[in-house]
Amino acid sequence: MTDRHCKQIFAMLSEYLDAQLPAKNCRQLERHLKGCRPCIAYLESLKTTMEACRRYKAPRVPALSKQMKAALLAAVQKGREKR
Amino acid sequence: MSELKGMNRQVEQALVNLKSGRPEDVERALETLQETVYGFGMKVCGVREDAEDTAQETLIRLARQLKEFPDARALVVWLYKVAKTQCLMSRRKSKFAPAQMLSLDALMPRESGATPPPMKSWEITPEEILLNKELRSKLKDAVLALPKHYRLVLILRDMEQLDTREVAEVMGISEETTKMRLHRARVFLRNALAGYVQRSQPWERKEHD
Repeated sequence: MTDRHCKQIFAMLSEYLDAQLPAKNCRQLERHLKGCRPCIAYLESLKTTMEACRRYKAPRVPALSKQMKAALLAAVQKGREKR
Repeated sequence: MSELKGMNRQVEQALVNLKSGRPEDVERALETLQETVYGFGMKVCGVREDAEDTAQETLIRLARQLKEFPDARALVVWLYKVAKTQCLMSRRKSKFAPAQMLSLDALMPRESGATPPPMKSWEITPEEILLNKELRSKLKDAVLALPKHYRLVLILRDMEQLDTREVAEVMGISEETTKMRLHRARVFLRNALAGYVQRSQPWERKEHD
């Protein structure tokens, strides 16, 4: 992927995957992809990375303590009364 | 207004519950928002104590300043903006990579004309929602290794599923800068994960969420 066109295409991959690439660049990218296996492979792996991120979940959240819950409910109530 | 998706839908319901004023609804809303902010805090800080502090401080501010959020989008942006600030402040235990610039040129694969090495096969059934432990751990480490401004953009966009405009608002940067940081962060992650994710995953056959 050191070819000049590959470099141009490489910079556009995320916008392409997010469907945010202008139509003209989109056509340019798709024309390039037809003949460039390394760029296709890279695009696919980037897509997989995004999917892994989408599926990543943080560890389970610890429950709010009773005191914290009571304090928050009181603060919400107070906040509502202020309006 | 664009269609609400992912996180915004949950927050929209929380907003309805908060506005109802009924204690049980408010409690449910607080739990949802706590989960959202804690999850975000864990991804950004990687440390439970900091994520807990982030969630508590953000919820306290929300409760105290309970202003009229016109819609879920406004609440989402406000919530992440406050949580982001809290995360960056609660750095007692969290490790933040130095605030360096990622160069796209340096991140680009060098092998001339060669297909990048295929990503190793990694089994997952369509029923599994969570990632396998090995990849989870690699992903977490790679995200934490990102310089903070890239890390925040990637987490907000690809993990929390905010749209580009929302991420830009939370970060206080332009949409163009958001896109630039996002692409570099994705490439950084992709390169860090090479060898752990295969090109075609079984889950791609089925729509989730």
